[in-house]
Amino acid sequence: MWLSILGLLLGISLGLLTDMQIPPEYADYLSIAVLASLDTLFGGIRAHLQGVYDDKVFVSGFFFNIVLAAALAFIGVHLGVDLYLAAIFAFGVRLFQNIAVIRRILLTKWAEKKEVRELQG
Amino acid sequence: MKKKLSSRFSVILFIIGLMAAVQYNTINEPDARDTRDIWEIRQELSREMQLHSELLTEIGTVDDTLSKYEDASNESPEQALKETVEDLRSAAGLDEMTGPGIEISIEPSPEAVALGLNIEGIAPDLLIRLVNEINRHNGLYISIDGNRVVNTTAIRDINGTTTVNTVPVQTPPFKIKIVSKTMDDTEKLYNHLMSSRIHDDFYIDNLSVIITEPIDQLTVEAYDKEHNYQQLEKVEGE
Repeated sequence: MWLSILGLLLGISLGLLTDMQIPPEYADYLSIAVLASLDTLFGGIRAHLQGVYDDKVFVSGFFFNIVLAAALAFIGVHLGVDLYLAAIFAFGVRLFQNIAVIRRILLTKWAEKKEVRELQG
Repeated sequence: MKKKLSSRFSVILFIIGLMAAVQYNTINEPDARDTRDIWEIRQELSREMQLHSELLTEIGTVDDTLSKYEDASNESPEQALKETVEDLRSAAGLDEMTGPGIEISIEPSPEAVALGLNIEGIAPDLLIRLVNEINRHNGLYISIDGNRVVNTTAIRDINGTTTVNTVPVQTPPFKIKIVSKTMDDTEKLYNHLMSSRIHDDFYIDNLSVIITEPIDQLTVEAYDKEHNYQQLEKVEGE
């Protein structure tokens, strides 16, 4: 848990301190990549809480989603169709669903713990 | 298992953090708006094209030198090196230059003399303006009151006196010599100066600019001081 937060902080500080930039034309792709990776991350957390977490699925899903989203955006730009909207929509919906599921699982766990404590007390 | 999961999440979160930070940097970069109009862009373009042609000329010169070295490497490499040193010395202004040129004398204007006005030294700004006007033409060798103007020459005010290369310039009258490589260049410069607005600028300061007709053989003095290399650094490698 703490290691993960450390990883996040390390990534953010590295990005901010090195003042890395990409050409503005590619900012769309990066934003979609960020969304895709967030989607995968929450999917992973949900799977872990539900006890169906699989390492391979998680890691492959992370990279595959990013590449797929960027490819969709790329094709969209060249076809003149805003295909990246499809990616944003899909990832956005899934993100909300995953977070909702995580919330419910956590609530249930919390309620169970409370019940157990009450029974013990 | 738990440890493995944690490390996976750390790596993924690291990548997410990095991407988010890069995205943040990119989005928050204020984009400088290009507010130049078409004419300014044209001027920019013409400047760049001039630079381009100058660079091409320079490449040509360097190529010439290179082929000279190659030719001479079998016979006498010293000769080629000596020639290069001579070229560089004259480019740096360390040698006297003789060639077709014009002489400009800066004198108090007749009106000022007639009115008995006090003649003061020339202002550095005015002198710089004149030098800039002359330098619109390339490949010229200039000396002001016997002081050679080189790339590092400073024309400035020191304790109320106008100086060139830190040597004070006389109160007018004094002479400026300009030598160019060909008579054509000299004539061009002469015509340019004759029609230039510089006369009006000098008249405001009670000075008049008198330009001689192009002279066949004129000599400008060599730069007689040490060059100041403080800001120069050696380039390493290729």
